[in-house]
Amino acid sequence: MKLRRSMLFVPGDNAGMLSTSFVYKPDAVMFDLEDAVATREKDSARLMVYQALQHPAYRDIETVVRINGVNTEFWQKDLEAAIRGGVDVVRLPKTENAQEIHELEEHVAKIEKACGRPVGDTKLMAAIESASGVVNAVSIASASPRMTAIAIAGFDYLVDMHTRRSDGWEPELFYARAAVLHAARAAHIDAFDVVYGNVSDDEGFLREVRIAKNLGFNGKSLIHPKQIDLLHRAYLPTAEEVNHAKRVIAAAEEAHSKGLGVVSLDGKMVDPPVIEEAEMTLQLAAAA
Amino acid sequence: MNATGDFYTVQPKGAPPEMEAIRGLLAANDLELDSQVEVFVLRRQQGRIVACAGLDHYTIKCVAVADDFRGEALSLRLGSEVINLAAARGQFHLFLYSAPHNLPFFRGWGFYPVVEVPERVVLMENSPVAIERYCGSLRERRRPGTNIGGIVLNANPFTLGHRHLVEQAARVCDWLHVFVVKEDASMFSYVDRFSLVAAGVKHIHNLTLHPGSAYIISRATFPGYFLKEKAVIDHSWAAIDLLLFREYIAPALGITHRYVGTEPFDPVTKNYNAEMQHWLRHAASPAPPITVVEIPRAFIGGVPISATEVRRLLAQRDFERIAALVPATTLQLLETKFPAAVTTVQ
Amino acid sequence: MKVTKEAVAGTLESSDLLVKVAPSDKGTRDIVIRSEVIKQFGKQIRHVVTDTLDKLSVSGGSIVIEDKGALDCVIRARVQAAVLRGCGSQDLDWGSLS
Repeated sequence: MKLRRSMLFVPGDNAGMLSTSFVYKPDAVMFDLEDAVATREKDSARLMVYQALQHPAYRDIETVVRINGVNTEFWQKDLEAAIRGGVDVVRLPKTENAQEIHELEEHVAKIEKACGRPVGDTKLMAAIESASGVVNAVSIASASPRMTAIAIAGFDYLVDMHTRRSDGWEPELFYARAAVLHAARAAHIDAFDVVYGNVSDDEGFLREVRIAKNLGFNGKSLIHPKQIDLLHRAYLPTAEEVNHAKRVIAAAEEAHSKGLGVVSLDGKMVDPPVIEEAEMTLQLAAAA
Repeated sequence: MNATGDFYTVQPKGAPPEMEAIRGLLAANDLELDSQVEVFVLRRQQGRIVACAGLDHYTIKCVAVADDFRGEALSLRLGSEVINLAAARGQFHLFLYSAPHNLPFFRGWGFYPVVEVPERVVLMENSPVAIERYCGSLRERRRPGTNIGGIVLNANPFTLGHRHLVEQAARVCDWLHVFVVKEDASMFSYVDRFSLVAAGVKHIHNLTLHPGSAYIISRATFPGYFLKEKAVIDHSWAAIDLLLFREYIAPALGITHRYVGTEPFDPVTKNYNAEMQHWLRHAASPAPPITVVEIPRAFIGGVPISATEVRRLLAQRDFERIAALVPATTLQLLETKFPAAVTTVQ
Repeated sequence: MKVTKEAVAGTLESSDLLVKVAPSDKGTRDIVIRSEVIKQFGKQIRHVVTDTLDKLSVSGGSIVIEDKGALDCVIRARVQAAVLRGCGSQDLDWGSLS
């Protein structure tokens, strides 16, 4: 199971950040060719990302490239750079519907064939940034076997909804978060929460992280390296949770060694999803 | 997320509201707003303008960063923005003027000193090799002799006065090098001015005609020359242009004498000629002094021949009077490009 | 590939480099490098630049580099970007880039 707590945004045009992001050990690095890069620098950023993807330091971190949307003139060239550079996941911004995912994967396959990469190797993730995207989240999440994650991008979504962020538990994001989460769980893929833009407000950041974690998000998109540690610590299981998980795993192993089909703990049946969750808990604890 | 962060551009001619903040920021850095700046790169942070850099064609001007934002990162980003803006406007060879104590700041921008008016100002360019390469190309056109002359002409347009000056100089030199100002800031384009000069000096055999360059009376080396409001003479950097000539161009070609015609009309040129004596000959410099020779202007009917006068007559399409002031080749161009009004017979 | 017009790529920021290319009137290839770490890394920088140009088959052009301590991969990317801009072509032969 891949840990995907932190996805660090790195502007594709920023040499300093491309050269150092891996030092902060996020679970995933997202090289951005879209909003962080000015139009006249798209060509240069593309080459930067292509080269950075091949740097040995990025071999141990999951790499993501946010290409420009399928309604722009840039996305195909972005894909060439990303796939040939060896990216793990391509992130499509402002995904409106499943058709865009289909269009995307068709082109991805073409490039994989052309550069000798196994077809199907490159995974996809969709960013939901509008009301349409939210409403179509279910079909988007299951649009392709390559789909590995779905994210909600707060800023553009709220603009589309004619509102803005408020303090506290943010009801304006509730439905979008819930919809994206349900779509992710139904399709058995991961879900990422919104970016928290106020880099100097640690408390506000942690408040939001707790909300996301409690809702069930796998992780969060980050825009500053200092948010990585804060996030990882917040995702650490408690000692109680760890102990319970250890007991679940032990029960599962015992049942397996006895050749039993059913696992039980404290007189109750333990389903496979619970065992999976226990494994994830121990993995999160070990990542500390 | 905004692609270019908090950097953006404004054009002074549109009278944007930022101009007051820019003036204030410049004043706080002991700088005046240069009226020739065409576009400003600005950095806005916490609701105020904290850094600015202006571009006038291919010269960077009016660079200032607020005291509380003097970090290196901001300055380098500002420099990158200006350089990329200039590139988008088709300008790749850039210049700037720096107070000597700011040299390290602009070295960080990839600018290298070219020539310095001691303790006052340094002209810098964005290449470690450009001026040397230019001199290298000039050196290939050196001619032997002890008395090598140099003339810089705008020739707007080439008149009998210009021809007189060139002929007089060629008579007393072993070889004469003539340069034509390259900027397209005069009534006649550089291409036209150059071809008129070429036609007008064809008969002189000890002469090399050189194209102009950014290093000889250009917007970069002598911006005052191109100001519309000719009254503003006090900030003219004639010194920079003249020191460049003395320290680079003259040594490359072996020029020992600079020839100029006396200037009765244009105040900027008049002032420039006066400064020539100082900077080419008398001022302390690592390069040898150059003798400045003022050749009296050619007269016709008691009036000195001048390009200004030709342009005035041209406005009236008075080709008869013009014919007395210019060679046939110039007259031909004028009549072709500025035909007199034709009355049609119904 | 030949550089047919002036172009620039990169920035002055730390870990980056500014690459300027221009046509060479002599048809030769001319590389000028300035760097804060020229003593320690000058050779390496020149090697990476030359290799990148070779792979793109750049036969003629003047290249001036202002390096601010960039990694090899950044040097490659910025040189490639400047050359492609200077050749006015956006048709990339991806095989020639690694």
